[in-house]
Order: sequence, then structure tokens, then C-alpha cells
Amino acid sequence: MQHCSPEQLALAALREPLSATDAAHLADCAACHAEVSALRRGVDALAFPALAAPTTSLTPPPRVWDAIAAATGVSATPASHPTPVSHPTSVSHPTPEPAPLATVTRLQPRRNRWMAVAAAAALVGGVAGVVALTRDGSGQVVAATTLDPLDADDSSGTAEVRERDGVRSLQVDLEAPSLGEGYYEVWLLRPDVTGLVPLGVVHQGANVVPLPAGLDLGDYPVVDVSVEPLDGDPSHSGVSVARGSLS
Amino acid sequence: MTALEDRTDLYGHHVETGRTSLRRVTEPDDDDLARRFRDGDEQALAVAYERWSGQLYGMAVRAFGPGPDAEDVTQQTFIAAWTGRAGYSAGSGPLPAWLVGICRHKIADVWAKRDRQRRQSEAVAADVASRPGSHDDVDTRVADRVLLLGELDQLGQPQRGIIELAFFEDLTHVQIAARTGIPLGTVKSHIRRTLERLRTRLEVDGAALQP
Ligand SMILES: [Zn+2]
Repeated sequence: MQHCSPEQLALAALREPLSATDAAHLADCAACHAEVSALRRGVDALAFPALAAPTTSLTPPPRVWDAIAAATGVSATPASHPTPVSHPTSVSHPTPEPAPLATVTRLQPRRNRWMAVAAAAALVGGVAGVVALTRDGSGQVVAATTLDPLDADDSSGTAEVRERDGVRSLQVDLEAPSLGEGYYEVWLLRPDVTGLVPLGVVHQGANVVPLPAGLDLGDYPVVDVSVEPLDGDPSHSGVSVARGSLS
Repeated sequence: MTALEDRTDLYGHHVETGRTSLRRVTEPDDDDLARRFRDGDEQALAVAYERWSGQLYGMAVRAFGPGPDAEDVTQQTFIAAWTGRAGYSAGSGPLPAWLVGICRHKIADVWAKRDRQRRQSEAVAADVASRPGSHDDVDTRVADRVLLLGELDQLGQPQRGIIELAFFEDLTHVQIAARTGIPLGTVKSHIRRTLERLRTRLEVDGAALQP
């Protein structure tokens, strides 16, 4: 009697299908069957669904990183790790380094003022009811993106570039917390953030803002939503809450 | 349709707003990140966490459901990886795969701990003798898992990669050959030798087989 090859028995232990000849032999041969059973014990111990390659990504709660930082003494922080806004003293000191690009020097973030906005937003909390405003569903969608929350924010939405009669506009559907003071503003950025175009104030819900004629969306593909304090300063606050890249 | 991959921020310095960190950073690719991680760059640990904690936590939640065990496994994985980073080398495979391997160990450890606790609580239960031996099979596999994960760590490449594709990605030997470019016959003989090695380990050190 011709036994199955050792390789075929290993594959049988992994529950791979065998040729008809091997399968028929295995069904009748106690020796080969015992061999498969012995090899399969290791397979069953390890080829177990909970040990399989990860397929689902879930965001762990912030305390997981806190525990890692505490155990390792590492002071670096993951970009999306929320820093409690309840410690305003922690932002009042270190002096900002010069901005790396002269072209964005005017975008010096207004940190302390931002803190008031953040605190107000935290107080209001939650996602407020969406207020439908000036949605304009007409025209053809020529580019679109989802707006994904940045870091710890729970602001998100969609943005669509629509074109009608040669005139382009950006439709922004924004889901974001109410701000106690300040407002949301939408911008188009270069991917490397060396330039930005302010498009205007947006609210929770549906908004339509016109796009400047001649603006090349290939140069400025990134839709950015920021929180701006009511301070009369027209430049970007440096506090972005949601972004997406038009395609 | 995605967020900016490199999460480039507007400014060159960090602002602790809790909403966005305004650092101008060019995110390192995985290889560069792995080198920095091994060299003890603390920022690399934070970036690795940013990049892979979701998958590892997803894996732990699949094993235990959301809760303290899943969180503990995730944090223990990163802590063990950081403290044991000197043991990581290019031969260990990509950094995320190495982290997943550590995560498997941590999951198996929690199972084993739970199993010990269950045995202890049963041992103090008066009716332990009257219970049917329905747990014996499970007990054996819990112990085997810890043992065999350790044995996998001892395998060199490409044996380890091949058996991991078979075990954890459920690929057939034909698919493994296609994925890795290793000849079919070589894949089969590596699988055979690895399964023999695992069997030997179980026979020597494994939990007692039930008759
Ligand atoms: Zn036989």
C-alpha cells in the first residue's frame, strides 16, 4: 500500500484539500490518519481565529497610551492623542520656535486665544443638531472628498466641488460641535501647506461657498476646516478640525 | 477621498490644544520608522502607536471583546516591544508584523491566566470532583498556544513567514508560493518540517494529551 507523502499529510493537517487518491487512502489508512491527527494538534492550537492577522482597526481609548507612556517613561505623544484642555497653564509658556517657512510666518498660531475657544467648545460638547442652510444641489460634481476628523476632533463631513455654467462652488456638509465662541472657516491648502486660500465661514450642516475663478484645484486639493476665534485676525488660526483631499 | 496621509500640520511647532498637533512632520515610512524604533527614538514609539495600535487593539478586542483585557494586551504589546526593541532586527520581518507577533503572545498569556484562575476557582468549589471533564480539551489548547507561539519565535525565515501565512492568513500552500515567490515544493517541505517541529515540542513539553 502506497502511503501519502509526508508533505501531503502536513497539508491534510492544515485542512487543505487532497487529491482524490490521497483522500481515499487517508480515509482507509490508520497510520496516515494518526499522523495527520498528531500534526493537527499544533495547527489547531495556533490557527485560531483570535490569533489571525488583524483585519479590523479599532481606536483604543486614550488611557492605553497613557499607560504605555507611564511604563516606558516616553514623553513623545501620538499625533491623535488628546491632551486634556483642562490645563491651560500647560500652554502659556513654551515659546514657539520660528515657523519654518517664511511664507507662513503670518500664520503664527494664537495659542492662548485658541484655548478659550477650545474650552468653550468642550463645555458645549457633543455634536449639535445639524442646521440646513443654503444647500445647492445643482451643477455637476467635479471633485469630492470626505472630511476626516483631525486627531481627537469629532468634526467630520464631506466636500464637493460643483460646476454650473463654468462657475465652481464648494459644497461643505459639516458635522461638528457647537462653538461657544468663534466660528468654522473652510480653506483650500496645498498638500505641503505652503499656501492656502480662505473660502469663508461655514456652519454645521450644509454650506455653499464660491471658488475663486482660475484657482487650480490641482495645486490646492486639500479642503481644511478650521476653528477661528472672533478676534478680527483674518489669518488661519492654526487649529484645523477636519480635512480631506479632493479627488 | 482620504485625509492627508502625512497629517502635515500648519506650523513647525507643537501646540497642545488637544485638537491638532501643529507640527510640520514628514511621516517616516515603515522601514525608517522601524530603524528609529530599534534605535530608541521615543517619537518612533509614538508614531508606531499612531500607526498600528488600532489594528492591535482590534485584534485584542476580537479575542476578548472591548474592555480591560483588550486594553491591557494592547498596552503590554507596545511596552514589551519598546523594552525589547534590541531584539528586533530586519530578520524579524516588518515592524507591524513583529508587533502582531508580540500581541499574539500577550493574548495567549491572558488566556492562560484566565484558565489558571478558572482552575483555582474550581479547585475551591466543592463540586469540582463531580464535574465532567468538558474543559480538558480547552485547557490543553490554551497551554499549547503559549508553548507553540514561543516555538514559532525560534523559527528562522522563510519557515516562519510561510507557516504564519498558513496559520494566520489562512493561505493554501499554492497561495503562499504565489505570495512569496518561493517554489511550491520548498513551501511544502517547510510546512512539513515546521509541523513536525511543533509536534515534537508538544510531545516533549506540551500539556498531557487526553487518552
Ligand atoms: Zn497510509
